[in-house]
Amino acid sequence: MSTTPALEAMGLGKRYGHTWGLRDCSFEIPPGRIAALVGPNGSGKSTLLRMAVGITRPTAGQVRVFGHSPAEQAEEVLRRIGYLDQERPLYRSFKVAEMLRFGDKLNPGWDSATARQYLADLNIPVESRVGNLSGGQQAQVALTMCLAKRPELLLLDEPVAALDPLARETLMQILLRAVVEDGTTVLLSSHAIADIAMVCDYVIILSASRVSLADDIDYVLASHRLLVGGREAIAPAGTDVIAATHAERQTNLLVRVEEPINDGPWRVEEPTLEEIVIAYLRRAEAEGTLSFDDPGAASGTSVHGHAPR
Amino acid sequence: MIWATWRMERSLYLVAGAVLAVIAVLLVLAGAHQEAAWTTFSNLHCSQPGASSGCMSAADSYYSASRFSATGVVIGFLAPGLLGLVVGAPIVAKEIGQSTNRLAWTQSITRTRWLVLKLSVGALATAVLVGALTPVFQWWTGAAQRGDRIVPSNFDISGLVPVAYALFAFMLGALLGALVRRTGWAFALGVPLFGAFRFLERTYVRSGLVPPVYTSTAQLSPSNNWVLNQGYLPLGQSSPGHGITWQSESVASCTNPGVGKAVHSVHHCESLLRLHYVVQMQPGNHYWTLQLAEAGVFVAAACVLCVLTIVAVGRWRT
Repeated sequence: MSTTPALEAMGLGKRYGHTWGLRDCSFEIPPGRIAALVGPNGSGKSTLLRMAVGITRPTAGQVRVFGHSPAEQAEEVLRRIGYLDQERPLYRSFKVAEMLRFGDKLNPGWDSATARQYLADLNIPVESRVGNLSGGQQAQVALTMCLAKRPELLLLDEPVAALDPLARETLMQILLRAVVEDGTTVLLSSHAIADIAMVCDYVIILSASRVSLADDIDYVLASHRLLVGGREAIAPAGTDVIAATHAERQTNLLVRVEEPINDGPWRVEEPTLEEIVIAYLRRAEAEGTLSFDDPGAASGTSVHGHAPR
Repeated sequence: MIWATWRMERSLYLVAGAVLAVIAVLLVLAGAHQEAAWTTFSNLHCSQPGASSGCMSAADSYYSASRFSATGVVIGFLAPGLLGLVVGAPIVAKEIGQSTNRLAWTQSITRTRWLVLKLSVGALATAVLVGALTPVFQWWTGAAQRGDRIVPSNFDISGLVPVAYALFAFMLGALLGALVRRTGWAFALGVPLFGAFRFLERTYVRSGLVPPVYTSTAQLSPSNNWVLNQGYLPLGQSSPGHGITWQSESVASCTNPGVGKAVHSVHHCESLLRLHYVVQMQPGNHYWTLQLAEAGVFVAAACVLCVLTIVAVGRWRT
């Protein structure tokens, strides 16, 4: 059985002037997943989310939300999506209650009771002016606006960035509940990989404006190993070395494996998600540095497969 | 959604309404003062022989009461355009400036519907605000300017056209706001553009919106006419065109031919040259037809700007 992906990107790219904010981005998020979008600052996370919701126009490729194009079938996409922008825009002169009324007027599926319940749980008085709330409270009002819309796909740009640890925990619980109760699909960008590991079951790693990895977290964990061995040890056949760190007497390799490694001079360990993510980000950074600083080396051992002349 | 749109711009409308209310009060006070001074003056029948000795002081107080006249005309001239621009410029630009467009455009309605609603509510509020002020100006031009509503300085500030100017300025502000994405810049660009459009229309278009009337001086009523051209035409011709042009110079060289030549009376020259004096004008009874036509021009232009704004916002994806 084939189900329409909640979010699908096909060769998606966005160029700002001469530089690509996001490039060759392809992945699918099946419905019902909580997907994490991780990557360093400026790797194109916000650009990707904005293209998915139709605020930003792709320079190349396509993006589909439940099979619909945000540019051409805006209505179909908008009523299915809950979008939290990085800047948490709200009408600052509105009272919180007026913000909720705004949401009610603009969204047919608006869940007023849930919205008020969330705000009551978060101790945010609805009679306050939005502009008088703290940054964290504003973030929570903005998030409540997304959730009360009862969307099928939540796109959250750094939802926990302005929150204290307790609020992060509460937010993650709220997200989990929404997913369990409504089958909502979530794509959230974050730097807090520990939080992600707690709730997410899917991960997309963006680095240097490209997708390095997009897969189920369980599979990602199962298909990567940390190899600890002597300095002279050679990586086993059939493995893809993501990152290598060398100490005086030993070498640590983070590798992607197709089948279990049983023999050889390596001690095999299971890496954490954080270690895997960091390994991918390091690799992308190294490739970026190589191609920028040393064009000779880059063309000699081409990373992106340019045909030799 | 209408509530939300109203809620967003509410404070701006209230401030604009307050400013217009102050203008209305000033006009009513100044107009009533001037009207009273005029009544006093005309009751003295100063033009008749043996007029009252109070004529001089009554005339003085009428002229001092008219001091606000020029100011009133300028206010009436500027208010609709400025109000339209002030209300129109932030419609799109303010949302983009504060990033709230990313909130508004990701709710369940399309941004075209969002924009149409915002423009409708804004246009309605603009029309109501300026429309409420127009009767005051209408009365004031009668009281303070002593009629002559067809004359451009009074035509501009009375009747329907102020509302049409305001709607045009509103849509111009909205479009510029959508294009330059800064409220201040939209306003700053809107003022000269609006002024230029108004100037060009007033100078080159208005007089021809309704076919003008040609009349000889004998039939010319004493006041409330907007005279466009006057001069001499061949007898039997009531209007220029088809190779017939104004011939005022030939009459001038006949009446005043130069040193040492016989000077003729105008009447003599007219019959000598077989010409007659003709006035081209928009008479006072064209007032409402001309008002409707000019309002139509500005409302049509506003509609074009409205469509362009919707297209600009619909296409806009950073």
